[in-house]
Amino acid sequence: MPRFSEKAYRRHVWVAMAVYVGCMLVLWPQRLAVTGTPAKVVLALLPVLPMLYLIGAMMRRIRDSDELEQRTHLVALGVATMVVGALSLGGGFLAAAQVLTLDGTILIWVFPVLMASYGMTRWWVARRYGMDGLCEASGVPTFARLLLVAAALGLGAFLFRRVLGDDISLLYGLALGLGLASALGAGMHWLSGRRRDGGAP
Amino acid sequence: MKNHVRELRGEHGWSQAEMAERLDVSRQTVNAIETGKYDPSLPLAFKIAALFGQPIESIFDPGE
Repeated sequence: MPRFSEKAYRRHVWVAMAVYVGCMLVLWPQRLAVTGTPAKVVLALLPVLPMLYLIGAMMRRIRDSDELEQRTHLVALGVATMVVGALSLGGGFLAAAQVLTLDGTILIWVFPVLMASYGMTRWWVARRYGMDGLCEASGVPTFARLLLVAAALGLGAFLFRRVLGDDISLLYGLALGLGLASALGAGMHWLSGRRRDGGAP
Repeated sequence: MKNHVRELRGEHGWSQAEMAERLDVSRQTVNAIETGKYDPSLPLAFKIAALFGQPIESIFDPGE
């Protein structure tokens, strides 16, 4: 059985992200315009569908990985779960103490934070095993991809600012977060390049 | 754990990618094993031994 390559996995991720952004830009703002609970439910849950597709691709990727790759996935998922759990616990206590005012929309951030923690931890764990860079198949560094997505989200938010209304802050926030992650990745990429050139271990 | 995977692979004239394909693992896993950053599981160690036609103990050295 052929392995589910990193390249194929990334192609699925791009498809899922493109559909997700399309849903957020075109369909999600319509939820306030429609009347009737069923229509609202359908529109509200549409962005979840590409994420389910992404989860399916991730499961296939992990299932088809070899033992070392599965170990890195396992550690990364464990750390990501603990990070999200700790943040939720802290946020929950702060809300209970009425220091923070949190509403249900904060739950939208659970999956992105989980994925960000998972990605960063997996990168870090993979480096420990000398698996430098998880995107060797295409040669495009991860930070460059993140920057591209951040720019696309920022541009999309700007172009659709009239349609999005208050939701624009969500997209700008996502673009900013991805931009910061890209800058962090670029810094780490530069540092590892310097260490390699300097002959350090 | 030390091993002689790199030397044996060199003797057979295989690239890391070729060996990875024969073992059905990623090239990065072969690299991690060769550099001693990862000790393979028993099934994978047996697979490596079978690939080179040698007993496990002649390829992997647990050290002291």
